[in-house]
Amino acid sequence: MTGTVFDIGYRSYTGAREGRGRSRLALFRDGVRASLGLGRPPRAKVLPWLFVVLLSGIALVMAMIAGAAERLVGDGATEKLNLPTHADYYGIASILMFVFAALVAPELLCRDRREGVLQLYLVRPLTGTDYVAARWASFLTVMTVAAWLPQVILFLGLCMGDPAPIAYLREHWLDIPRFLASGIIMSTYVTTLALLTASFTSRRAYAAVFLVGLFAITTPFTIGLADEMRDGAGPWISMFNLTNIPLHVVDVIFGGPSEMTEDAPARVLGSTTLVTWYLAWILVPALVLWSRYRRATP
Amino acid sequence: MITAARELLAAKGLTKRYGSVVALDNVTFSIHEGVTGILGENGAGKSTSIRIFLGLVQPTSGQALVLGEDASSSLAVRARLGYMPEHDCLPSQVSAADFLTHMAELSGLPRSAARTRAADVLRHTGLFEERYRPIGGYSTGMKQRVKLAQALVHDPAFVFLDEPTAGLDPVGREEMLSLVRKTHREFGISVLLSSHLMADVERTCDRIIVIQGGHLVHAGEVGQFTRETETVFIEVDTHREELALALRRRGVAVAAEGSGLTIKGPDESVYDHVRDALVETEAPLRRMAPRRRALTELFERQPA
Repeated sequence: MTGTVFDIGYRSYTGAREGRGRSRLALFRDGVRASLGLGRPPRAKVLPWLFVVLLSGIALVMAMIAGAAERLVGDGATEKLNLPTHADYYGIASILMFVFAALVAPELLCRDRREGVLQLYLVRPLTGTDYVAARWASFLTVMTVAAWLPQVILFLGLCMGDPAPIAYLREHWLDIPRFLASGIIMSTYVTTLALLTASFTSRRAYAAVFLVGLFAITTPFTIGLADEMRDGAGPWISMFNLTNIPLHVVDVIFGGPSEMTEDAPARVLGSTTLVTWYLAWILVPALVLWSRYRRATP
Repeated sequence: MITAARELLAAKGLTKRYGSVVALDNVTFSIHEGVTGILGENGAGKSTSIRIFLGLVQPTSGQALVLGEDASSSLAVRARLGYMPEHDCLPSQVSAADFLTHMAELSGLPRSAARTRAADVLRHTGLFEERYRPIGGYSTGMKQRVKLAQALVHDPAFVFLDEPTAGLDPVGREEMLSLVRKTHREFGISVLLSSHLMADVERTCDRIIVIQGGHLVHAGEVGQFTRETETVFIEVDTHREELALALRRRGVAVAAEGSGLTIKGPDESVYDHVRDALVETEAPLRRMAPRRRALTELFERQPA
């Protein structure tokens, strides 16, 4: 039996046009897919998924050590041996999260500008603000999920590794909202800084090198200088340790310092100052980022 | 045949200055349904006009209306416009099918409809077989087709094509011009085609707008313009001067050109006068032919 192919010609579109909301959603979804390399060649998937595996791997190792300690040392081994838990995870993984954001987030802005796709977006029913907000939200989503996933693995690992899982769940259920909130704190910080850096160049490599370099240089420099001047301007210098800025807020959420921040001189300044300082590091870069794209459309 | 058509675009006293540089100087024109060519040399103000109509640039003074609205203040109208830029604008890592679906959604189409439209438009632009390959591996001609396809995927009422034949070989250029003609005649989408290639405009467009140095030089139908500039060229073996005198006596404006004579803007009676003058002067006729001047001559006119 043979079939016949009919050319039905051009058909005009008479269906629904959903407007700006649909445009923003499309841009958001594209941003998530671009961040994870979905719908792109295999080489585009390597970096994001490598980081997701590494971040989860750290949590898995932490959970396995805690589980083994509980069985070898006995009940409460995690506390007795002072093994790292949820409060410490973001401190341990923060460098990886910064590098992840530095390498992957610029993909969302730099490529659109370099390849000229941005000019096509801006003649659609979108403003520059819509564009940058959708891109910011999409990477924030990816980063938040990448931050939460290891904590979920860690929680499940600790829970199942405990000789009394139900009792562990009852005692530690508050860790769940804490690590979820802390994940958002970390993600918002790295997303905003990474996208701000990316907004100044059309080359992803430049943005990534600048951001990684900024963290790599300022962190040891401010730690050393703040220790030297611990009784003077040390706490204020310590505030410029870019790695610790969100970790101090995580400490506030968990109600105490993590291993990464317990010696930080900035702690003497108090929670209010540290949270305000964190908010300033979100709002000012976000405003600069927004102003750079707001002007893209009249 | 050009029928009475509704006004789709209107430029009213449009001026755009970049510092001391005047890109457009008090330009007024309107564009109706059909294919309109905007012709001008590089830097004449074509792309600036298009960018103002698309709402990407604010005019210094004047007004630019698209489908009755100002695109810089009305986002809704942009959902009914398509734009094919001159320069590169395609993501290299994404397939044409995914990219077109994404662009259709960006214009407000629901996801399932966007997928269907993407497949349809890729078929009409001859890319259906290649739709799942990353665009980065496409040839220049295929990339131009994707650029056109993304401008059409949301079924706009009006599409701006900025130098669509740029970088194409003769075959690719012919195919692109054929697609441009098809865009209006079969798809029913009106087109503003920007080009510095006169042949492209002359072969594709119903109407023409000529801009030079930011000034409007000419606006009207291509056919009317070419009729206005039509000439009759007469070549005789001898008695050329006598023939010219005989024609002038009959009120025909005639000018010497090479070995022959040229009559500008002839009407039907001119051919009778030529016949009578040839008989009177007994000039041996070698050749007589109507000739259309190319659009090149538009550039020779002084700005209005």
